[in-house]
Amino acid sequence: MNELTIVIATIVLAPIVGGLLFGIDRRITARLQGRYGPPILQPFYDFFKLLGKEGIAVSKMQFVWIYCYLILMIASLLCLVLRADFLVLVFLLGFAGVSLVLGGFSTKSPYSHFGANRELLQILAYEPVLLLLAVGIYAKNGTFLISAITAHEEPMLASLWPLFLAVLYVLTIKMRKSPFDIATSHHAHQEIVKGITTEFSGPFLAIYELTEWYEIVLLLGVIALFWANPLWVGLLIAFAAFLLELVVDNIAARMTARWMVRLSWSIGLFLGIVNIAYLYMTKGVF
Amino acid sequence: MTDWMMAIAILLPVVSGLLILAVRNYFARGVIVVLTAVVLIANSLLFATKGPMTYTPSPGFDWATLIAVLDYAILVTYLVIGFKYRNWLVLLFTATQLIPLLYFEFIMKAHVHPEPAFVVDHLAIVMTLIISIIGSLICVYAIRYMRDHEEHLHLAKSRQSRFLFWLVLFLGAMNGLVFANNLVWLYFFWEVTTLCCFMLIAHDKTKIALENAARALWMNATGGTAFILGIIYLYVTQGGSSALSVQNIIGGNVHGAAMLLPVALLCYTGCTKAAQMPFQSWLLGAMVAPTPVSALLHSSTMVKAGVYLVLRFAPAYAGTYLSTAVAIVGAFTFFGASALAISQTTGKRVLAYSTIANLGLIIACAGINTPLSIAAAILLIIFHAISKGLLFLCAGAIEHQIWSREIEDMEGLAAKAPLVTLITAAGMLSMFLPPFGMLLGKWVALEAAYKVPLAAIFFVLASSLTIVFWTKWLGRLLEVMPKLGWPLEKLSPSYSVPLWTLFIGIFVIGIGIGPIYSSFISSATSNVISGMSAIVASSWSDIALTSSGAKGGAAVLGLFPLWSLYVVLGIALVLPMLFMGLKPTQLRQVYLCGEQSGGVDTDEWLAEADVKTKFILGGYYFQGTVGEKAMNPWVNTVAILLLAVMIGCGVFVR
Repeated sequence: MNELTIVIATIVLAPIVGGLLFGIDRRITARLQGRYGPPILQPFYDFFKLLGKEGIAVSKMQFVWIYCYLILMIASLLCLVLRADFLVLVFLLGFAGVSLVLGGFSTKSPYSHFGANRELLQILAYEPVLLLLAVGIYAKNGTFLISAITAHEEPMLASLWPLFLAVLYVLTIKMRKSPFDIATSHHAHQEIVKGITTEFSGPFLAIYELTEWYEIVLLLGVIALFWANPLWVGLLIAFAAFLLELVVDNIAARMTARWMVRLSWSIGLFLGIVNIAYLYMTKGVF
Repeated sequence: MTDWMMAIAILLPVVSGLLILAVRNYFARGVIVVLTAVVLIANSLLFATKGPMTYTPSPGFDWATLIAVLDYAILVTYLVIGFKYRNWLVLLFTATQLIPLLYFEFIMKAHVHPEPAFVVDHLAIVMTLIISIIGSLICVYAIRYMRDHEEHLHLAKSRQSRFLFWLVLFLGAMNGLVFANNLVWLYFFWEVTTLCCFMLIAHDKTKIALENAARALWMNATGGTAFILGIIYLYVTQGGSSALSVQNIIGGNVHGAAMLLPVALLCYTGCTKAAQMPFQSWLLGAMVAPTPVSALLHSSTMVKAGVYLVLRFAPAYAGTYLSTAVAIVGAFTFFGASALAISQTTGKRVLAYSTIANLGLIIACAGINTPLSIAAAILLIIFHAISKGLLFLCAGAIEHQIWSREIEDMEGLAAKAPLVTLITAAGMLSMFLPPFGMLLGKWVALEAAYKVPLAAIFFVLASSLTIVFWTKWLGRLLEVMPKLGWPLEKLSPSYSVPLWTLFIGIFVIGIGIGPIYSSFISSATSNVISGMSAIVASSWSDIALTSSGAKGGAAVLGLFPLWSLYVVLGIALVLPMLFMGLKPTQLRQVYLCGEQSGGVDTDEWLAEADVKTKFILGGYYFQGTVGEKAMNPWVNTVAILLLAVMIGCGVFVR
């Protein structure tokens, strides 16, 4: 397959997969809560309904940033499917996160600001873990290139399992699931209205939803990298991780942003640092 | 030809400075500054095209004696300052410089004249380009800034001439510093920059300005002390003046265990000038000075002299414990300063902490000491100079719009000054996001850092903290009411020319980094690593082809098509900003639980008993966790211990 085909296929297929995953999420969550739940295709119905609404906004920059969020997320996902540099993937994902935060900040709205500040703390919580994963990948392969990961016969999980555990809670933060649904939540128990998405509506909210679909595919793709040969094992692990998040979401209560940062900067970093230290001791320097 | 180029680079600023001091007319002074800037920039470009060279002044004039006399003049000036302001630390650390220097020159009767006196290699050329171009732009900016500054202060007698004199002189001293091969002359230029720095910080003569200037002076004087002790130690143990040639030290012509200790002392000296922890307070204190001073100190001069020194001597300590210690000292500062930046409520202090952090990163790269990390250090020096110079000029322009330096007062600046906000936002984004140069440097640094894993972990933590403090501040600027079509403000050309030049510079250098890397930086890298080795005869490209450093860097930079990231940025941010618009009818008021008191762009709501109340939003600063009170004690303790370990490592040779 040439690269252009991969790019087009990814841009078209990723949101379909992502939307379906969100549909499954809503259905399973409903069952766990003793409800019947919406049809699997409900996220798509919502999406098209939002697209059809009148485009209203509170500032021009807000709209520019949410668009930026979408494009950077797609760029980050393309880094993954084109097997480019993992560090660039993390940097682009970071920029995407920053765009969303700035979208939240670029209006004088109290709820939006609450959400944006909390989203920023979420970035602070997950960014070092992803960067440590990059360092871990470098420690193992001597390069940040994803193509080197997929070329390896031995799965990354064997030597990077502590980092895998750390990445699992990054997934919780990124999927906006309890206990880390701090900046905004899929459930209606958010006391700061809708957090960072409060001021997004109509087509702009649709762009936000679309970006989340790309994001879930990207994150599960990163998790699949832990067992890249054969890839179907990795994909199964990713799907299992996804289901695990749903269970965690329904059995955990939401915690505060400070608690999240402390947890991430203690346990998450500990796991990552121990992992890298071990690799350094056993493998030495390239 | 070479005579003239050297004279223009080092002496022209002195001559123009004296002229400026004599001229009392605003326009005439402005013309002199602009002309000096143009000549300096042209001269630095000439250096770049001519390539490396060496130079020793003709023996017709006794430069060595002149420099010795000026050395004492500077130190006596420090003493006068110390007595005048009753600052015992200044007196103490001047004495610790003066006594060894007297001993060195009169008791030991040292005659130091290593040849060549000046070596202009690729690293020096990269530095002189930064000093001459960015430094000159800042001087141009200062012409108008100082007039506004004095109008605001209602000064009876203008002191602009004095200010511009020290500012322009600074550039000459920096050029001399990066060209000097004679260590004693390097020391002289080093002291001139310290003196200029003192005079500029103290410029406003307020109590706090004098206090902070004195602090900068004594902290840098401890560095000067280490410098002179290093010189004496080298002279005594290596016997003779050829040991005091920079190129001989890094070229390995000066041998043995005795070499490492003076190099460790020089690293300490570099750390003081680069405001590494625990010396960060002098650079933070320098904030009281008018903004062009900060811009100059942070981007192209002073602190860059500190990192230059550490980078310059990198091959002299390669493969030793000292190297690892330097890496950890720098990486720790990168981490500590990034955390402290989150708690800062003053814009310029955030910028200052960010500078300290990035200098730490550069020093850490020098300490990691692989071809790749040296390339990263040079990349970071270049990109940091452009972005930080721009950001300080923006901070000054903002200050002259709102007459405040507080981040909270910059709330909604996008509405009051859209143009300056746009440039500031670009400057901020270029500090920490892809595809801009600073992040490129971090990327290369992280790739190189695995050799010192502790440094890599500090890099990771610091990078994450960096995202937080920039985004937080940027968010305050962008907070606007629902309204379209903010009117653009007018800027004086003295402001707008430097601002737009640096703004464009970020993109041009960023996008063109591939060719710039292969034609400049790779040769500078191999220059740092291999020292003198036949630089004189070879051209840029010869070295680029033969050096391993060039290959290492090109491998990283070449593997990824960097331009594609700029395309992404263009699609994601620039296109929607330019071409997609909202109509006024699409604007709605923000959600306030239905308690708004009026139309779309009111920020009032109906509070208790339906009283109209303006709502106020504030930023988060986390003073309890990462504030100076909470962090400084332990951060400084760790930093002092690390520095002690670093100097201690000079005793051990691996």
